[in-house]
Amino acid sequence: MIEFRNVKFEYEKGKEVLHDMSFRIEKGESVGLIGANGAGKSTIMKLLLGLLQGEGKVLIDGTEVKKETLGEIRAKLGFVLQNSDNQMFMPTVYEDMIFGPLNYGLSREVVDKRVDEVLARLNLEYLKHRYNHKISGGEKRMGAIATILAMEPAAILMDEPTSALDPYNRRLVINTIRELEQTKLIASHDLDMILDTCDRVILISGGRIAADGPAREILSNKELLEANRMELPLRMQ
Amino acid sequence: MHMADALLAPAVAATMYAASATAAGVSIHKLKKDDEPSKLPVMAVTSALVFAGQMINYTIPGTGSSGHMCGGMMLSALLGPYAGFLSMIVILAIQCLFFADGGLMALGANCWNMAFYGCFVGYFLIWRPIMNGKWFGEGKSAERARIIAASIIGCIITLQLGAFSVVLETSLSGITELPFGAFCALMQPIHLAIGLVEGLITAAVLVFVHDSRPELLSGVELSEGESAKRSLKTVVAILAVVALVVGGGLSLMASSNPDGLEWALFGNADGGYSTNMGLDEENFGVESSAAEKAGSIQEKTSFLPDYAFPGSESAAGTTVSGIVGSAIVAGAAILICFVGGFFRKRKVRTE
Amino acid sequence: MKKGIYRMNKMQKALAELSEMDELAARRSPVHTLHPAAKLLTTIVYILVTLSFDKYDLSGIVPMVLWPVLMFTISGVNVRTCFYKLRIVLPLVMAVGLFNPFFDKEIMVSIGGIGVSGGVISMITLMLKGVFCLMASFLLMATTKIDSLCAALRKLHVPAMLVSLLQLTYRYVGVMTEELAVMTEAYHLRAPGQKGIHISAWGSFLGQLLLRSMDRAQELFSSMMLRGYHEHFHYADIDRFRARDALFMAGCILFFVLLRYGNIAQLIGGLVVY
Repeated sequence: MIEFRNVKFEYEKGKEVLHDMSFRIEKGESVGLIGANGAGKSTIMKLLLGLLQGEGKVLIDGTEVKKETLGEIRAKLGFVLQNSDNQMFMPTVYEDMIFGPLNYGLSREVVDKRVDEVLARLNLEYLKHRYNHKISGGEKRMGAIATILAMEPAAILMDEPTSALDPYNRRLVINTIRELEQTKLIASHDLDMILDTCDRVILISGGRIAADGPAREILSNKELLEANRMELPLRMQ
Repeated sequence: MHMADALLAPAVAATMYAASATAAGVSIHKLKKDDEPSKLPVMAVTSALVFAGQMINYTIPGTGSSGHMCGGMMLSALLGPYAGFLSMIVILAIQCLFFADGGLMALGANCWNMAFYGCFVGYFLIWRPIMNGKWFGEGKSAERARIIAASIIGCIITLQLGAFSVVLETSLSGITELPFGAFCALMQPIHLAIGLVEGLITAAVLVFVHDSRPELLSGVELSEGESAKRSLKTVVAILAVVALVVGGGLSLMASSNPDGLEWALFGNADGGYSTNMGLDEENFGVESSAAEKAGSIQEKTSFLPDYAFPGSESAAGTTVSGIVGSAIVAGAAILICFVGGFFRKRKVRTE
Repeated sequence: MKKGIYRMNKMQKALAELSEMDELAARRSPVHTLHPAAKLLTTIVYILVTLSFDKYDLSGIVPMVLWPVLMFTISGVNVRTCFYKLRIVLPLVMAVGLFNPFFDKEIMVSIGGIGVSGGVISMITLMLKGVFCLMASFLLMATTKIDSLCAALRKLHVPAMLVSLLQLTYRYVGVMTEELAVMTEAYHLRAPGQKGIHISAWGSFLGQLLLRSMDRAQELFSSMMLRGYHEHFHYADIDRFRARDALFMAGCILFFVLLRYGNIAQLIGGLVVY
């Protein structure tokens, strides 16, 4: 589903942030992307979405990410931003939800049906006509996820989906993520959440893959985590 | 400088709406042609920022008072004149709709006074020429000096033009008895100070942006080539024109001869006055019996000749009944208020 | 939040004012359910008619109060909120109007031997214009949600780019104002006794936020691109313009014309005086 083949990337000449990176994520997998600040997590996300272009090949469902395929690629990927305020830019939750699908050429009836299905599934019917500037942080995050689900993407990328949420909303988001059947790639420092939602973890350090394996295995390896400026998830302590 | 609805006659308000709408239309056309709808998010976030930024109190050293900024120059320096103008319109619209700062009908005038000059005059005649000119030599500190010069000169001149427009619009609307010259003498010096403060704040912010992310400043990168050579001449020419305009305004102010003023304001406007004021003529020129008396007052006080009012001696009886009637209407209104619970706090019913 | 103990800064006040307007507009009343375009156009006509009164036509303009009073009553919107906003309009209008009594001393009417000059009359007329116009536009915003108003603007063929910009800006006005409110508070906690921002921080205070905002704009744009944005925004549909909206508009405008051309106050007064 998602493949990095010898990808290199530099923002400035001579300062490579990703060195010859390769990995594969199969359909239906849930993968946690962890690493210290500046390790290159966001860069990987942006390369996948075609917001950045590097050397090497990035493939989504067998299609290479490049200028000509951007539309096709982006219709398949849903990206949940860390700051929901930047994701929810329309006046109401409903208008945000129809934004993507309508842009990809679906009819209003189909989209309206989808919106209602997604909201019902997430128990968010009450949010439909609420204003984005009047809802709470937790509601906004759930709304952002609903916005992405309404696009029916094949894979979902998430950047810190549980940041700045209270325990209740964090749990709500975690449960929601667990129930999504799509391929998922979640970048986060919240290792407990990663443990709850992912079967596999890729640990990035200094633009290289430091470890790649089953979540339980990596997230219980104290030395490995501490060597990469992280600590054991609470549940593993 | 936000004008309220009450300060404008309908014809003046409509004229200013037309002027601002034209500028907005040109801006939209330009942005579309340059395929810059992609600027929309930047415009929205920046105008939201400037909206909030207008509420910051800046302490003015040595005075104990504080200043504010309005942001027209800053927006055009960051976004370019067209996007800056549209952003300013939106800011002014939100202020008038939600905060009663300005008015629904005065929006056109406010856009013109505060956005048009700051964005178009400020950008094309001041910011771009100075930034691409050779003032203060080469290097980073020279660029900084140019930013400061452009911001201060730009803000002062555009605010002067804005203030002058306010005076002009108010006077043309005929709602004040304050002689045009005196009004100018009140407004222009105040806005000299306001413009200076605005210029300093704008300069401070733009220098900060220049030091950290110079690529964000608009219109600065085209410095090389022929345009740079011409620009200093342009600056001088423009300053001369502006001096002429301001000087002209001042001399008008000094002249106490209303006929001269009238000629200067309307006589050369190619019939613009009668067209613009046509509405008023129809509405106000009704009571011819009052015209004579009105004329005598107007000669001293106002320069709108066709302004009549229903208050001459012959109409004294009707005036008294008018007052009584007004009182009765007011009473009725108050009655409606109390019956309808106008002043009571209502139970909030939200959807 | 007790008054006096906790003083809101300007931005927090603005946020409170914004959310108050939002809440007012979210209520329900016969006025709220009118088509936004009908309300917008009627309000514009009302303001234009109010402004068109002659500066001495005090008795003509007074009856114009009836429409806003009626609308306030029907919509159930509290007038106190509206008059709170007068603090911005009135000083400005007063500043201009206060000169009138000094320059225009011709006695126009005498009541019980006391002469009232034209200047006083024109000053009062001007103030009334200010108050009436504010009441009308406040009513519009207190009974119409911002997105309904934008939908109306689109229906009235205001360029889509401008309307989208208005809507997008409104979305971020709250976000940015809140950020600045927090920054202001943080500044004053570290600079007690300072009334405003010291000159040494003039550039960096707003500048820092500006740089962050540019990153935010970039992210916002990415998020739009990722969801297939190309030039068009899609909004929820608004209700159709119904017969009752047309009726409301026609009725109100007829009422204004009546007030404008038939001097109601004089008619009523005439019945009493003579």
